[in-house]
Amino acid sequence: MRRALVVFLVPLLLGAPPARAADTVVAETLDNGLRVILLEDHRSPIVSFQVWYRVGSRNERRGATGIAHFLEHMMFKGTPTHGRGQFARIVEQNGGQDNAFTSQDVTSYFVNIAADKLDLVIELEADRMHNLLLDPKEIESERQVVIEERRTRTEDDPGGFLGEEVASIAFKAHPYGSPIIGWQEDITRITPEEIRAFYRTYYVPNNAMVVAVGDFRAGEVLERIKRRFGGIPRGAAPPPVLTVEPPPNGERRVVVRKQAELPIVYLAYHVPNQRSNDAAPLEVLSTILSGGRASRLYRYLVYERRLALEAGGDYSYFSIDPNLFWFWATAMPGQTPETLEKELLAQVERLKTEPVTDEELRRAKNQIEAAFVFQEDSIHRRASLLARFEVIGGYAQKDQFLAKIRAVTAADLVRVAGSWFPEDKKNVGILLPKP
Amino acid sequence: MTRSLTTRFASLMLLGLASPAAAAPIAHREVLPNGIVLLVAERPAVPIVAVRALVQAGAVHDPPDRAGLANLTGVLLTRGTTKRTGPELDSAIEFVGGSLEAGAGRDSIGASLRVLKPDLGLGLDLLSEVILSPTFPPDEVTRKIDEIQASIKRSEEDPGAVAARALARLVFPGHPYGLPVEGTRESVARLTRDDVVKFHRERFRPDATVVAVVGAVTVDEARREVLGRFGSWARPASPLPGVPTASAGREPREEVIPRDLTQATIMFGRQAIRQTDPDYFALVVASYVLGGGSASRLYTRVREEGGLAYSVYSYVSPSKYGSAFFVSAQTRIAEVPKVRTLLNAELARMTREPPSDAELSLAKAYLVGSFPLRLDTSAKVADFVSAIEELGLGLDYADRYKERVARVTAREVQRAAQRFFIPETFNRVVVGRTP
Repeated sequence: MRRALVVFLVPLLLGAPPARAADTVVAETLDNGLRVILLEDHRSPIVSFQVWYRVGSRNERRGATGIAHFLEHMMFKGTPTHGRGQFARIVEQNGGQDNAFTSQDVTSYFVNIAADKLDLVIELEADRMHNLLLDPKEIESERQVVIEERRTRTEDDPGGFLGEEVASIAFKAHPYGSPIIGWQEDITRITPEEIRAFYRTYYVPNNAMVVAVGDFRAGEVLERIKRRFGGIPRGAAPPPVLTVEPPPNGERRVVVRKQAELPIVYLAYHVPNQRSNDAAPLEVLSTILSGGRASRLYRYLVYERRLALEAGGDYSYFSIDPNLFWFWATAMPGQTPETLEKELLAQVERLKTEPVTDEELRRAKNQIEAAFVFQEDSIHRRASLLARFEVIGGYAQKDQFLAKIRAVTAADLVRVAGSWFPEDKKNVGILLPKP
Repeated sequence: MTRSLTTRFASLMLLGLASPAAAAPIAHREVLPNGIVLLVAERPAVPIVAVRALVQAGAVHDPPDRAGLANLTGVLLTRGTTKRTGPELDSAIEFVGGSLEAGAGRDSIGASLRVLKPDLGLGLDLLSEVILSPTFPPDEVTRKIDEIQASIKRSEEDPGAVAARALARLVFPGHPYGLPVEGTRESVARLTRDDVVKFHRERFRPDATVVAVVGAVTVDEARREVLGRFGSWARPASPLPGVPTASAGREPREEVIPRDLTQATIMFGRQAIRQTDPDYFALVVASYVLGGGSASRLYTRVREEGGLAYSVYSYVSPSKYGSAFFVSAQTRIAEVPKVRTLLNAELARMTREPPSDAELSLAKAYLVGSFPLRLDTSAKVADFVSAIEELGLGLDYADRYKERVARVTAREVQRAAQRFFIPETFNRVVVGRTP
């Protein structure tokens, strides 16, 4: 992915299980505030067990960026009961796969494993929700690993590097302007005490949800989760993120020179999130712009004009706070970033005046609906999607999502493009290859 | 992500890791009258179908001075047929929310179709058109050559890609596996439409083709639909052309490729063995103990204890006409000597002493137990069964694999290491500044 950490959630947006009559989600909030969401799926004897914490780079303060992601790494470093590396070791020993990711809004841990090993995973996840060691020596060692990760993803990746720069100029107040992995200076500085405090504040059952999909009886699993997680004490409510990004007052632009082969251009506009009625049209717009080879930016910039090696548009439907709508393109050799920017802008301007064709609109809706069905094939993705909707206000919103998409008209698209893509308030990033 | 590379490489290692939990046949297999091998796996629960067609026409079949010809042919399949232009193909499949992608690998050209069940007829129409009657329009050929050239240029930005390319040249000197699938800028510049037409005419034949149909479909239905579209494809009288198996490499070499990056990418590689070699399963276990997961020796020493890398791993990469074993790490410039020393030391230690009981049992438990997770979607099943067929391993390979891995002893692991892990036998590539 070109901007792995900055817009991490985007590619996952297309696709989710449709609400089918047979799907009965069991949801309950335990006394300690832990949200539990369970869905039986008996096709294979496996289960995806996921724990999502409502904390990401959004919850970080300046000077301590990257702390949420740093803590994610530390979650694999052991508790008094299960020492360093034991978590992964036990999961592998039982034929399971585990990993985690941090986004702007959440930190998510998952284990996919044979269904008869579920108790083991419940034990491990409950243990590290409350008993993480956070040994200073381990923190120092892992700090270097995180810095290596930053080098791979950002310092040595032209697209990742530019994405970070553009986000940082687009937001002057809101923490979405900071990279998820954190600024290198912050990663280097953050103290074990700060990580410990961050863990105590945000890793409490009332700030977390357990989501599981797989071959189990939901009622039984709910009891087992209650038994093991129920004893973890509720914490104080984590502090809310109060910052509201002020409206942009003008264009912002960043030009970086870096060892690279081809120029890259990013355009980004501030847009509303899913709480707005404009969210569904923006989602459809993103599919019309970049959903496949028939989509606009590919067809025009890559195929017809041969200006770009690749091009697309991204919208973060699931963002907790209002975020950015991205347009991006990588130049073909010999093409200048000036031409690319001009042509990307022309595509944006065209959306404001000329309604998309009926075929484009129907295709985009069909693509979004089909992706929902395709996603249903994987228990991991089914669980992730329930969690994503739960984060933004309730898993049941999944059921209204397609209805909102279906209701979008070509006129809606003209309207939202006019409202949200003001030419004089755009954020522009240009990467110029340094020979 | 905490361990993105572990996850990414899982798919590459699929054939090396796989084994099913159940003994039930993984797919129905039959040979159609014209020689096409049809594989069908019924997965009725989700109304989607994934189809994977493989033709033995991969990069290994490129003429010596035409590296990249199979790849160019593969990407051009969807760029126009006797019935539809490229854009018409794109619109047709995307309008129903499906996807149809084609491209080349080392051993074969593959086309992947994914559709909702009601669109299977349309999807198979398109799939059969792109395989049987592509027209390779001249302007599309020019466009794709330009795009491939641009992609090769851009891949120079990616130190992992640069290292892998250089290492393949050293590991497989004089064999097509030593050349990149996409070709080189020089070889691609030489390719013509006539080359593509000839390659397609000579290499695409039913007795070199596997079609795997997986999802909400029955065997009878799949047979009928595939026969209806591919049944009249005539089998040529000529025998299938052969490909030489890779001969042993020459003296190991080392290459340093300077790049102005903050990290250096270190890759070691040498030839290894295919699934048909009796030592293969011991090698797979040995590689897992060394650098396969987050309990592995390399992960523990280099990442967990040393804080020297985010990404460090080893893997076996078997293909149809040869096999390789790789070790890789990315670290900051200053630590290159230390990481190289650790990689060498851990390789050598594997040859000196057998793995511990705990290491052996963990590796075997993971390799055997994680299998169902690797086949949890229709697309993954289609990819797996078609690859097994192409490699000639037999549909019982998954069962045999499980049984063979479970029987591997510590002594056999050490013997495999003695055969393949001697540090002096590795070719080495470092991309980046060296201290």
